[in-house]
Amino acid sequence: MSSIRLDIVTPTKILDEGEVTYVRCPGLDGLFGVMTGHIDGLFALDLGEIKVTKEKKDYYFATSGGFADVTSDRIQLLLETIERSSEIDEKRAEASLNRAQERLASMDEIDIVRVKASLTRATIRLKVANR
Amino acid sequence: MANLKIIRERIKSVQNIQKVTKAMKMVAAAKLRRSQERMEQARPYEERLSGVILSLLPDVERNLLPLLDVREVNRVAYVVVTSDRGFAGAFNANVIRRTEEEIRVLGKEKVDIFCIGRKGRNYFKKRSYTIIEEQIEFWNNLSFEHAIKFGNSIISHFTNGVVDEVRVVYNWFKNVANQELRVERLLPLVYDEEKVALVDRLYEPSKEQLVRSLIPRHLNVEMWKYLLESFASEQAARMVAMDNATENAGELIRDLKLKFNKARQASITKEVLEIVSGAEALANA
Repeated sequence: MSSIRLDIVTPTKILDEGEVTYVRCPGLDGLFGVMTGHIDGLFALDLGEIKVTKEKKDYYFATSGGFADVTSDRIQLLLETIERSSEIDEKRAEASLNRAQERLASMDEIDIVRVKASLTRATIRLKVANR
Repeated sequence: MANLKIIRERIKSVQNIQKVTKAMKMVAAAKLRRSQERMEQARPYEERLSGVILSLLPDVERNLLPLLDVREVNRVAYVVVTSDRGFAGAFNANVIRRTEEEIRVLGKEKVDIFCIGRKGRNYFKKRSYTIIEEQIEFWNNLSFEHAIKFGNSIISHFTNGVVDEVRVVYNWFKNVANQELRVERLLPLVYDEEKVALVDRLYEPSKEQLVRSLIPRHLNVEMWKYLLESFASEQAARMVAMDNATENAGELIRDLKLKFNKARQASITKEVLEIVSGAEALANA
């Protein structure tokens, strides 16, 4: 199977994932997949889950968003944060999920948008961690 | 021989001080190396991001982007980046003095302050400036999340129209021996449009929305850069300050030892003199 190069660049680290066969990213308008021979493009990414298929194995990452720069043989992800599924601290994610839910329920938080964002973040991290 | 004892104790205490300053210097040096590495790591991301924004901007209606909105300046926010701890020479004093000078020009009541680091917080709090947000005791586990958090609260302060301009006062890391105090405008963002390399490719969702989602991220990474610069500068300043302190302690110890030996010799001479004159007195008797 033909493959595509994947680089992940964040402000704190650079991951060189090497040759992969498939990358699935959370675009602003929904998930999209990238394989070799994809049209050149620039795609904004939302917070969500990134799935990478490498040597017939699937790897999952949680991200808080950024963008993807795609050419026919290379995909470069510029992300604010990236966490491998194995690196996620499930307990912490669960705690922040509970906290966010409580706040949302009590409604005394002024900043609903922020609470909802942290709720989404925690949900994604938990989902990725349980893969 | 009370004098000798006092000098000996003094030497001991200066030696202890020297040990402490030496250790602090080593710690600062290790932290400096780490933070320099971090600065290196942040660079590729920052360069790519501003590259992309620059290439998109010419195609986007500027006044649709609130973070590029240049308004008449009525109220200004200052982001004051200081350290949590002292013993770093003039590191914090420079930032605070410069900020105060700037504020004096504008008038205290027209300025909001975001305090990063305990030293600045304490100073401005005591003098009852308007502090919007403060963050202390985080330098030791500095992470990108801090930059995001700051970026977001600064963005909302600006887009809500509370302030018309945001400036950052921080120590820029020139090299280990030199840190330069800088005041930079963070918001509204200015990009100089000159190099335009238009590439024919797909943009999703749209160029405008891309820019809209990228600009806050760019601001976060700018914030991150300021934090890293300041942290590296703090460590470098502390390293230099502690190096000087260690050297001064060494000089002090040398002087004290000289004094000690002189006093010791004087006392020996005195004793010998007493014995000799005693013996002579006996022989003459």
